[in-house]
Amino acid sequence: MGKSTVTTKDDAQALFHSLRSAYSSTPTHLKIIDLYVLFAVFTALIQVGYMAIVGSFPFNSFLSGVLSCVGTAVLAVCLRIQVNKENKEFKDLPPERAFADFVLCNLVLHLVIMNFLG
Amino acid sequence: MAKSLTYTIFISLICLLITLTHSFSTETPTDRRILVLLDDLALKSSHSIFFTSLQSRGFDLDFKLSDDPKIALQRYGQFLYDGLILFSPNTERFGGSLDVAGILEFVDSGKDLIVAADAGASDLIRSVAAECGVDFDEDPSAVAPVLFKGIGHSLNPANSLVLKVLSASPSAYSANPKSKLSTPPALYGSSISLVSVVQARNNARAVFSGSLDLFSNKFFKSPVQKAGSSNKFAKSGNEQFVTELSKWVFHERGHLKAVNVRHHRVGETDEPAIYRINDDLEYSVEIYEWSGSSWEPYVADDVQVQFYMMSPYVLKTMSNDKKGLFHAAFKVPDVYGVFQFKVEYQRLGYTSLSLAKQIPVRPFRHNEYERFIPTAFPYYGASFSTMAAFFIFSFVYLYSK
Repeated sequence: MGKSTVTTKDDAQALFHSLRSAYSSTPTHLKIIDLYVLFAVFTALIQVGYMAIVGSFPFNSFLSGVLSCVGTAVLAVCLRIQVNKENKEFKDLPPERAFADFVLCNLVLHLVIMNFLG
Repeated sequence: MAKSLTYTIFISLICLLITLTHSFSTETPTDRRILVLLDDLALKSSHSIFFTSLQSRGFDLDFKLSDDPKIALQRYGQFLYDGLILFSPNTERFGGSLDVAGILEFVDSGKDLIVAADAGASDLIRSVAAECGVDFDEDPSAVAPVLFKGIGHSLNPANSLVLKVLSASPSAYSANPKSKLSTPPALYGSSISLVSVVQARNNARAVFSGSLDLFSNKFFKSPVQKAGSSNKFAKSGNEQFVTELSKWVFHERGHLKAVNVRHHRVGETDEPAIYRINDDLEYSVEIYEWSGSSWEPYVADDVQVQFYMMSPYVLKTMSNDKKGLFHAAFKVPDVYGVFQFKVEYQRLGYTSLSLAKQIPVRPFRHNEYERFIPTAFPYYGASFSTMAAFFIFSFVYLYSK
């Protein structure tokens, strides 16, 4: 019993180490995108927690706050898929084009968010 | 010069005429012209106390025999009378053009009616009564020996407008006292109605009495003694009863009018064309009661106003200042649409009041919502921080290579 627990713990640690070493080989610009996605998800979670405390009164503000984070995260993930060299599906798409799409989509997203916020 | 003088005189005459017309048109709901149809002109003297009391109260009675060929209730589409008294229980056919449909049309246009039957009531009288929800008993009999001699009647249970005024004693029954009873009588106890009143939805009033003698001088003056009691009264209560009944039926009593319906937002005086949801408003109406000679303030604490859109969203009892002004203040519900202020007042013995005034209610305008709510500051912060993060991310991403 005790032995298997130790084994499981070791396995988890081994897995974590292999993940970290694998992730360290990820290109920097993808890591930047990951950081950006983490920020967006974290901000969304904070807002959901806040809403659970104060209630859903300015519901439109809550929705625009959370959806701006979710939208940002989704767009960033899309950008990450398109600029990843290992994705053969998008190998014909230049990363500059992907970034331009990303910027355009973000502009539309924030325009909508601003309208819905008040 | 002369021409302008004529002109001035003409104008002042017109003004005078308008003033005169206005001064004559004081609104009184009491009937003025009453047609009395009799079987026999002898009734005029045998019921003279009743007729004299009507005349002394200012009514203009027009006596006619019921088979008079010149009877007409209307001429050129205008009714000639405000009220009709049918003291002709035995008439099978009216003279002239009058028939049951004519009498019903008369009542339907808001005019008033007194019908008295007796033991020999004709089919004509019965059918007039039946149309108003009163079924006279078939059996020609005497129901109550005291003060009332005639036939009883039952009320149509489907008709909610008709009401017993005088009902028989609990031990009474309706049958012919001279014949032996083989089957139980159909009408008995206090379900026998002796005098009934109807107030139609258009406030036309009608009285149905099973006895013509109820109105007679003989019954007015006869002394009474209550069965099983030694108390003797020198005079029966008939005169008072009949007088009050006739006051009611000819709209000398119990007639209400509502004027000056007003509504406005709290703190304002002008009536708006439209309200916004959640506005606070005040509604007021003046209600007066006709006393027979003047309009007196109506005092009651059960008048309610509704704020109505297919169903009442607000139902509020109005307070009154004892001077006839009824007032209520309430908040417009959080629902927009076309509403009505409604006062539906139906109280027994009074004419019904039915007021409705339409008013639209709109939602908040786009710029009427609260702006910069403190509770929402974290959401604003989150939105702007993601925007800032987008800029920073773009720079970092582009220059990191």
